[in-house]
Amino acid sequence: MQKDIVVMKNICKTFPGVKALDNATLQLREGEVMALLGENGAGKSTLVKILSGVYTKDSGTIEVFGKNIPVMNQKTAAENGIAIIHQELNMCPHLSITGNIFLGRELTKNGIIDDKTMQEKTREVLNRLGLKLDPATVTGTLPVAQQQLVEICRALSINAKILIMDEPTSALTNKEIEQLFDIIRQLKSEGCGIIYISHRLEELKLITDRVTIMRDGKFVTSGDYSSFTMDEIISHMVGREIKEKYPHEYANIGNTVLEVKGLNAGRLVRDVSFNVKEGEIVGMAGLLGAGRTETLRAIFGADEKESGEILVDGKSCSINDVKDAIEAGIVLVPDDRKKRGLCLNLSVRENIALPNLDELSNAGVLDNKKEEAMAEKAVKAMNIRLPGIEAGSANLSGGNQQKVVISKWLMRDSRVIMLDEPTRGIDVSAKVEIYQIMNRLKAQGIGCLFVSSELPEILGISDRIIVMCDGKITGELSREEATQEKILTLATMFENKTN
Amino acid sequence: MKNESFLQKQLSKQGMRQVFTILFGLIVLLVAFSIINPLFLSSRNAANLSRQIAPIIMIGIAQSFVLMTGNIDLSIGSIVGMSTMMSATLMTKGMNPWTASLITMGASLLVGLINGYLVAGFRLPPFIATLGTMTICRGIAQIVNGNYNTGAINTIPETAEAVDTFRNIFYYGRIGGIYNTVYIALVMFLIFNFVLLKTKTGRHIYALGSNAEAARLSGVSIIKTTTVAYVVSAFCSCIVGIIQCCSAGMGAMDAGNSYEMYGVAASVMGGVSTLGGTGRLIGTLVGACVWATLQNGLQFANAPVALRNIIIGIIVIVAVLLDIIIRNKKPRLISAENQEEKSSPGDDNK
Repeated sequence: MQKDIVVMKNICKTFPGVKALDNATLQLREGEVMALLGENGAGKSTLVKILSGVYTKDSGTIEVFGKNIPVMNQKTAAENGIAIIHQELNMCPHLSITGNIFLGRELTKNGIIDDKTMQEKTREVLNRLGLKLDPATVTGTLPVAQQQLVEICRALSINAKILIMDEPTSALTNKEIEQLFDIIRQLKSEGCGIIYISHRLEELKLITDRVTIMRDGKFVTSGDYSSFTMDEIISHMVGREIKEKYPHEYANIGNTVLEVKGLNAGRLVRDVSFNVKEGEIVGMAGLLGAGRTETLRAIFGADEKESGEILVDGKSCSINDVKDAIEAGIVLVPDDRKKRGLCLNLSVRENIALPNLDELSNAGVLDNKKEEAMAEKAVKAMNIRLPGIEAGSANLSGGNQQKVVISKWLMRDSRVIMLDEPTRGIDVSAKVEIYQIMNRLKAQGIGCLFVSSELPEILGISDRIIVMCDGKITGELSREEATQEKILTLATMFENKTN
Repeated sequence: MKNESFLQKQLSKQGMRQVFTILFGLIVLLVAFSIINPLFLSSRNAANLSRQIAPIIMIGIAQSFVLMTGNIDLSIGSIVGMSTMMSATLMTKGMNPWTASLITMGASLLVGLINGYLVAGFRLPPFIATLGTMTICRGIAQIVNGNYNTGAINTIPETAEAVDTFRNIFYYGRIGGIYNTVYIALVMFLIFNFVLLKTKTGRHIYALGSNAEAARLSGVSIIKTTTVAYVVSAFCSCIVGIIQCCSAGMGAMDAGNSYEMYGVAASVMGGVSTLGGTGRLIGTLVGACVWATLQNGLQFANAPVALRNIIIGIIVIVAVLLDIIIRNKKPRLISAENQEEKSSPGDDNK
């Protein structure tokens, strides 16, 4: 029996309105690869971010190499040999490999940067991983996969014994993945413990020793990888039953309101065709980076498209920018309300009025009364709880902010409303309210298209589900036939990448 | 009671707190300077001071419009110089002053258009784009009269009378004891304040400065809005240039030197953020008053020129620093919340 090098017990963490971790537990042994599994939102990333000192825990204990660490921050994490390799690369692309590896702890000789020693040490680490790279290479010129390996080198150069990899393979080709796995095996043999997070369940069998499964911020089970079947793993991940958390009502299905034909826009939107009918909510499922957000943005004219036709109520629309889309009756509630949805310096009234200023003005001069009336109406219709329409939008809760973003689009006659992760990071009751709004819209004959990474939500409120993987639509399921397993299968139908 | 509620209502409006803070600062300055030298508040100096404030208000409006969109306009001072030299040169050639000013205005607005397109259309960093046009405009100011300042603009007999009338209208004339320049500045303030607060364009400017992506996804045209801001900036700068031409009665190639920075100073002291999206033109107006009052008051207090600059520099920094310190006391909470929101568990596995 190998010894435990990390023991996390009873870890709790609450974000405003959401309990992210509820008595979560994690153990990592010396020289093993432990796969941490769970759905989106299960709390995996939160848990490893607590271990690596990015977040602080609310309660619970962390022991590393048998030593209790009451306060874990990024500095103590590094001192205890913990390193995390994020999905997005955290590197300065203009610096050399050496520059990145020694970033923030540059070696000096009499106060002057000691390039020679650093280069030698960098070469040592590169050699250890069998990488034939010149330490002076500018990092940004390397392919993404090699940049990721440089990140691993950085972790090794601080003598990390505990390595956390958060979706390391999502940007890699098969060949690159093999190379990464070789390195992982080598690190394992040197005694490193590796926590491995991935959605690509099929690749686990190549490296995993043990799995830990989480759901809803809680520990579900753990054990040797070989003791589980894939079906068992998935059902542990999915677990819960779907209750009235997802109110669904049938409406009369009518004509097609939105039809997308052969849409191409960048790597993540390839030959996408689908439609949305009156009276239905269409859910778009897929892994992160499957191209769902990009598809919505291309339809909305927010990003350039290469080809494809968009029809609203059967009429072909030329959509070159957002204004065209709005005029054609297509609106989008974007995924990150703070980054893309709200003007945080502006009041609720001003945010609601923003896309509707044409209607609220005469010859360019705003009609304050109309504007206030619209804001009041929106706040009432959406049940937004705030002190008044002059409230700053920055100070509202996530749920209320999201309702403001949705409501501004409901104040005009739209035909299709697209919502990108409309319930991300908001509490359960606000979620239900948003589902009810979507139900109301479809009853009014407005086409609803929404993207979500929460499978239960997709299954709960969609009338039809489209699944994307790697920029393509890999399948379509009716409400009746859809299951989490089927969606997961379609969402991981990667074509073999050959480059 | 009623007064208090009025004050509270004003304070509750976005950005008004800074306006009241800087207004308080202005009053302190006025009192201090009139104690140091009682002549400071003499009607003669008051008239003079108001005429010094006027161009700074216009420059402040120019820079505020651009700052509110989240950009910066470094070409303001050079547009002032260019329009002074262009209008003066045309007048010394015997052109009617109104025609000359119209042509000058055309050229200035063109610069504004170019600025807007470079920044929003071609996505050049505003600092670089307007640094370029700043240098070009100063070059034009030098080239229009063959790298010489112009002679007096009222020496051509046919137009001398028209030029003198023109100079009176823009600079020397008074109505009710107040110089025309002050009226021009106030009218411009009223117009552009209206544009910012009561029109679609104004709302677009705030939205763009607050969150360009959210504004774009709400159907706001980034190119159009940015360009409008730069064109307004060029318009105000051109008026200041023409006023300078009228005041000097000639064109000076270095007119308007570093005015863009005066504009930044007036704006930020009045609560306009260089990050965009916030601030009010009334703040800029008060900020401009503070700036010009410092210049004038220190002169009256017999401070040497070099010392004046040092003092003014320090006051600008302290004014903005104070505001940041006051603001940080509260929003530290908000920013912590922001961070947690950002990293809420929905972002898992991102």
